[in-house]
Amino acid sequence: MPCALNVENLSIRFSGRDGDIAVVDDVSFRLEAGESLVIAGESGSGKSMVCQALLGIVPKAAKVSGTRIDWNGRDLLATTGEAWRAVRGAEIAMIFQDPTAALNPLITVEHQITDAIRAHRKCTKDEARARTIEVLGMAGFPELEHRMKSYPSELSGGLRQRVAIALALSCAPSLIIADEATTNLDVSIQAQIVTLLRRLKDQLGLALIFVTHDLGLAAEIGGKLMVMYAGHAVEQGPVLDVLADPCHPYTHGLLRSAPTLKSSRTNPLQPIPGQAPKPGSIGKGSPFRSRCPVVVGGVCAATRAGWTSAGEDHQVACHRFALDGREGVR
Amino acid sequence: MTGVLEARNIVKTFIVRREGKPHELRAVGDVSLSVAPGEIVGLVGESGSGKTTVSRIMIGIERATSGTVTYNGKPVETRADWRALRRSVQYVFQDPFTALCPTMRIGDALAEPLIIHNMCPRGEVPGRVTKMLETVGLHPDVARRMPNQLSGGQRQRVNLARALMLEPKALICDEIVSGLDVSIQAQVLRLLVELQERLGLSLIFISHDLRIVRYLSSRVLVMYLGQIVEQGPTEAVFDNPQHDYTRALLAAIPDHSRVLAGAA
Repeated sequence: MPCALNVENLSIRFSGRDGDIAVVDDVSFRLEAGESLVIAGESGSGKSMVCQALLGIVPKAAKVSGTRIDWNGRDLLATTGEAWRAVRGAEIAMIFQDPTAALNPLITVEHQITDAIRAHRKCTKDEARARTIEVLGMAGFPELEHRMKSYPSELSGGLRQRVAIALALSCAPSLIIADEATTNLDVSIQAQIVTLLRRLKDQLGLALIFVTHDLGLAAEIGGKLMVMYAGHAVEQGPVLDVLADPCHPYTHGLLRSAPTLKSSRTNPLQPIPGQAPKPGSIGKGSPFRSRCPVVVGGVCAATRAGWTSAGEDHQVACHRFALDGREGVR
Repeated sequence: MTGVLEARNIVKTFIVRREGKPHELRAVGDVSLSVAPGEIVGLVGESGSGKTTVSRIMIGIERATSGTVTYNGKPVETRADWRALRRSVQYVFQDPFTALCPTMRIGDALAEPLIIHNMCPRGEVPGRVTKMLETVGLHPDVARRMPNQLSGGQRQRVNLARALMLEPKALICDEIVSGLDVSIQAQVLRLLVELQERLGLSLIFISHDLRIVRYLSSRVLVMYLGQIVEQGPTEAVFDNPQHDYTRALLAAIPDHSRVLAGAA
């Protein structure tokens, strides 16, 4: 089966005083057209770095390595400099967390988008304008003709994020990456944006990568879920399977510490004890071992766990699970 | 029921300039709110609903256009009244990065309220700082650190510790966990519950995340466009919302328990 995006063994390292520090370590995933992948994890888990690597916008000091990042036949790992321009924005587009920072405050909504279109394809001003109206319409931007002349500062946060989405759609990409794209928005606006992204994915056959720290949002987006911890993927599978039947102690811990609309103090939240390890301090063992309640003595400190199957398409990287199954990690 | 801290018929209008002409903007229209001893009240609503403005009025950062704030049943009117109120009601701000002075060591930041309100002999100050750091689950060594050496979760604990230095009767918490990672958020929420149970603190907890409010508070008020549109015991409001806005707000919360229940 042809695969739109195939990431194999992606690692991202920074040089430190005592050798290289991996902020993303050996992450692999595949994504087909029309599919969505949610990357969930806390700050410092490396989820944003993975997205940046797909667009070639990692910080200069970062070293990206791996077997391959295959994108429709092009190896993104081998892509450099000007060659990125054919991919970035045109084929893979990104929606950032803060739409205020993502938009140029000095130009109108209309010109933000026509500029992007004209940078990527040869077309007349009128054609660019027509496309701008089309994508703003897709993004649910209201009172188009009149409002597209406004500046970003004249719009609410929700509307600015819709402009950012229209900007991402403008060159008809086949993959959209939304990095915490709804985190700063009010809940009702967030729900609108999530519905919009889901609809665009289905209508346009887009592949979608949605990065979030909110497991509730992950469930609303649907598709596949990859849980990241300290630069490592620890569990992956269909979102609902993973949330209904978590198999990694970290996924368990996240679910126990996240309040839901059903939670009450008779069933207290259980925070994960301790703090995430500093990058570079993990060494060869399991990244979660310092906070894990079900550590396997001697083994977790010495080696990384490989993937163990926990169901159809559902995999978990945990020594305890490999030894004792579901009962062991509960 | 008499509350520790009460706001009665609060109205707040701001004067804004629109196209050069002064314009009245009614941010809060006739809101009443009270918190009983040892009670946690949740105040929910979206940005612009006026929840922060109400809370700022209740501690005197902002003056109400009309309406009264009462503390222990007595109206707060004079400067001395407000000063007394601010000794026993404390405010924890949303952003732990801007709430701490960047050039002040944590220990000094925690000692300052004691010194300003002349709460104890100078000699006892360091001991109280150490004790409070332990109460919020931080190592006493943190007193020697600067704010930029701490993580977001640690800073929010420091802010909480500073608010607790004066042994307040009531605490107003404005979105204090919304910027934190879930596992850290759970730690801070547990700490709040523990403090409420152990010290009998009253809490006004402001949040747009209904999942957290459901977990924490026993009573909840829903604000929309400067008005309270629904209030009642948390269970009743969440399980049987009466106002359309409350229903819309609940439906908008991303929630895996609901999605999983729907899929099953």
